[in-house]
Amino acid sequence: MPKERLVVIGGDAAGMSAASQAKRRRPELEIVVFERGPHTSYSA
Amino acid sequence: MRILHDVEEIDAAKRRVHVRDLKSGKSRWESYGQLLIATGAAPICPDLPGADAVDICGVNTLASGMEIRSRLDKGNIKRAVVVGGGYIGLEMAEALVMNGLEVSLISRPPQVMGTLDEDMGALVSQALRDVGVTLYLDEELTEFETKAGKVTGIVTDKRNLPADIVILGLGVRPNTALAAAAGIPLGEKGSIRVNERMETGTPGIWAAGDCAESFHLISRRPFYVALGTVANRQGRVAGINLGGGYATFPGVTGTAVTKICHVEVARTGLQEQEIAALGLEHVSAVIKSRTRAGYYPGSGDITVKLLAERGSGRLLGGQIVGMEGSAKRIDTVATALQAGFTVEEMINLDLGYAPPFSPVWDPVVTAARAVAKKL
Repeated sequence: MPKERLVVIGGDAAGMSAASQAKRRRPELEIVVFERGPHTSYSA
Repeated sequence: MRILHDVEEIDAAKRRVHVRDLKSGKSRWESYGQLLIATGAAPICPDLPGADAVDICGVNTLASGMEIRSRLDKGNIKRAVVVGGGYIGLEMAEALVMNGLEVSLISRPPQVMGTLDEDMGALVSQALRDVGVTLYLDEELTEFETKAGKVTGIVTDKRNLPADIVILGLGVRPNTALAAAAGIPLGEKGSIRVNERMETGTPGIWAAGDCAESFHLISRRPFYVALGTVANRQGRVAGINLGGGYATFPGVTGTAVTKICHVEVARTGLQEQEIAALGLEHVSAVIKSRTRAGYYPGSGDITVKLLAERGSGRLLGGQIVGMEGSAKRIDTVATALQAGFTVEEMINLDLGYAPPFSPVWDPVVTAARAVAKKL
């Protein structure tokens, strides 16, 4: 099962939905999101 | 959260990504246990002369929308050409008309809204004309005219059109170059192939959203669709799995809604050409009804088309064009479709009725009845 560190590439709808779900279920999980643009979650 | 950070390479064997900080220009390796690729999609830009000129805009991000807004606010932009008659083309045409621009829309296919059948697409074309958009259908963009690096017009196979701004609505391509370079298997239209849990074919790597493949629940085939609804649902499923839970994303029926000023447009399921491509035979009916009881104030026209499999009556798809209150009726059709209903079963749906909301037979049920008669 997923462990240690989760890296997410992309900080819009899919990336942020996933990051928030994962964090909610496993608060101890380290999550880093890399977003190329200047905005995040604008369509989420 | 690291904004302005561009991942340039995925090293799946060592479970690390190469990231560049776009502000400092410095790059570094970052290790991961699990990786989610949610890189989205990018507008298709035709490889034509002049395509790199200023004021030729794809629009799929907040930044690109703000860019167009700021150009319009400068005030010296009067004539716009929209290339493409899909969702982006329609919605941008609406926005530009509302901003007082003179708007032309060119479409290579002979109809706008290619995800609708021809008869329903024609209603959308009429709606565009009614709000003052000049349509050039069945015309192919061949060149951008430019002066000193700025767009001044476009050329099609039939005419030249002057333009102060050109909006490209030619669809999107999934951003999967990064994944492909890492050897992650791709699928439909170059999107990343995933299983029901949103795992790719490479251990420890997941994908979701506009860069990832979907599955069409009616055709039972891999399908690519770039929509925020799907991205949110796929992201949720990936996140639950990455958080140690278990969730699956079964697929989509291809539901989408849009509008052009006062006319709402909706579709779900398979359209005629998709049904034919699957080798299925269908019957269809198009009905005209009202969004509310006919005598009730604010009642508007609505046209509903439903398609069902010949013989079995299994619902295959639906399309709606009409006034306010029309588009979201597609959700009833989408739900019936996902449930595997026949049109006969749709007739028995216990839908809400009162004069302010609907005729006593909801338009989608009226359409189901019309199809059922032809089975």
